[in-house]
Amino acid sequence: MYEEVTGSLMQSYNICKRQVWLMAHQIIPDQEHPYIEMGRLIDDISYDRDRKKLNFENVVIDLVRNDNGNLLVGEVKKSSKAEKSAKMQLLFYLYKLKQNGIVAKGQLFFPEERKKVDVYLTSEAELEIINAMKDITDIMSKDKAPSFEKIPYCKNCGYKEFCLS
Amino acid sequence: MKKPVYIFSDGELHRKDNTLYFEGENGRKFIPVENTSEIMIFGEVNLNKRFLEFISQSEIILHFFNHYGYYVGSFYPREHLNSGYMILKQAENYIDEKKRLYIAQKFVEGAYRNIRQVLKYYQNRGKNLDDIIYAIERLGDLIVGTSDVNELMAIEGNIREYYYKSFDEILGNSDFEFDVRSKRPPKNSLNVLISFGNSLMYTTVLSEVYKTHLDPRIGYLHSTNFRRFTLNLDVSEIFKPIVVDRVIFTVVGKSIIKKDDFDGDAEGLVLKDKAKMAFIEEYEDKLKTTIKHRTLGNNVSYRRLIRLELYKLEKHLMGEEEYQPFVAQW
Ligand code: SF4
Repeated sequence: MYEEVTGSLMQSYNICKRQVWLMAHQIIPDQEHPYIEMGRLIDDISYDRDRKKLNFENVVIDLVRNDNGNLLVGEVKKSSKAEKSAKMQLLFYLYKLKQNGIVAKGQLFFPEERKKVDVYLTSEAELEIINAMKDITDIMSKDKAPSFEKIPYCKNCGYKEFCLS
Repeated sequence: MKKPVYIFSDGELHRKDNTLYFEGENGRKFIPVENTSEIMIFGEVNLNKRFLEFISQSEIILHFFNHYGYYVGSFYPREHLNSGYMILKQAENYIDEKKRLYIAQKFVEGAYRNIRQVLKYYQNRGKNLDDIIYAIERLGDLIVGTSDVNELMAIEGNIREYYYKSFDEILGNSDFEFDVRSKRPPKNSLNVLISFGNSLMYTTVLSEVYKTHLDPRIGYLHSTNFRRFTLNLDVSEIFKPIVVDRVIFTVVGKSIIKKDDFDGDAEGLVLKDKAKMAFIEEYEDKLKTTIKHRTLGNNVSYRRLIRLELYKLEKHLMGEEEYQPFVAQW
């Protein structure tokens, strides 16, 4: 069961290793979970003006726009609470683009907070991404999911009822 | 929250663009696609492929019941949650006799413990159930020692036999005497209610299975032949005593359903539509009733408890945590 690392796995990786394993095994979270619904909705309504989905390899990029001749890759997020994980997801995309010979700048959008954060793929960041990818592949190839440990994020996690039942 | 839609009248189900409606004697009734989890069909209903395609897309299940109120079958849209991993685990636990027996025993144990809770509740209210409880407890002790699923099924059958005898004492209503358990179609009023309630339970559990990664064709207690849904029958055993039977005690106890709510025909007794609706109302109310959940820390409905039961089973299959069935506290 070898899956390639995806942006959402990268995002999960910075939240919860158990989530990475579950997602990689297609055990997707509860579809009725209110936060998941909300995420979809925000996805649908924000930044409609210049919204484009870019698909390449196994990567789907939320938003691409021409920023004074430079390629700008954006990720729209509900709240900046999970900024670190959103940032890693975006860095992962930038890394993937670079592998394909495209240099781009990243930006995180938090429409509800009217906030933007610039993200650059520095050499340090690149190393961090490579290490994370290796780690994610390791987690995925494990026989069992990393065992459940309650963390603050569980409260808002789509897997909550699965993990806590 | 999505809700089930019940159809009792005769008519036709249609799709018009991206909406659904039912056309019956009383005109058109629209079915809100976003808010519908399943459609329960009791009347004589015609439908076409266009309708089924849209139902599939919208991930709505159709459950069909016959004239007697029995479950006939379901239109189960192709699986939308698919995890090859989970299906392998489910099959692995079926093929290995020991693993299969363990899970089957847990389902029977859950059924037994919940039956006992129901009986204890009425014993505390002065019903004379000591002998029955004693007999059931002796049988319950045998569950862990069973060496195959057939032996286990036999014990379960015996427990149920004693249990149904208690209904006469609990109900104390000569219009609803148990006599013997008769199925397909049932010969007495109480049996009609039991069969009807169980049919509802099977569909409720099946609808919850649909929202997990489990394949309803692979059951552990009820043997799998891959042509029928069986996992929902397994899990229903746990919830029948605390949901269906309690609804029966309520509708009979409060005279919501009375002797003249049944029609007889050559083959057996039929519950009148109005009484079916009254039963369903109590049943849906019961599913909405919430109890405090220990590990989740919030209130969950009985319907949700069924889903959590399936999650626990998934975790068992994944080798994470041994499955322990839900046992009501009262
Ligand atoms: S509920 Fe908690 S442990 Fe489970 S996947 Fe979500 S964050 Fe991880």
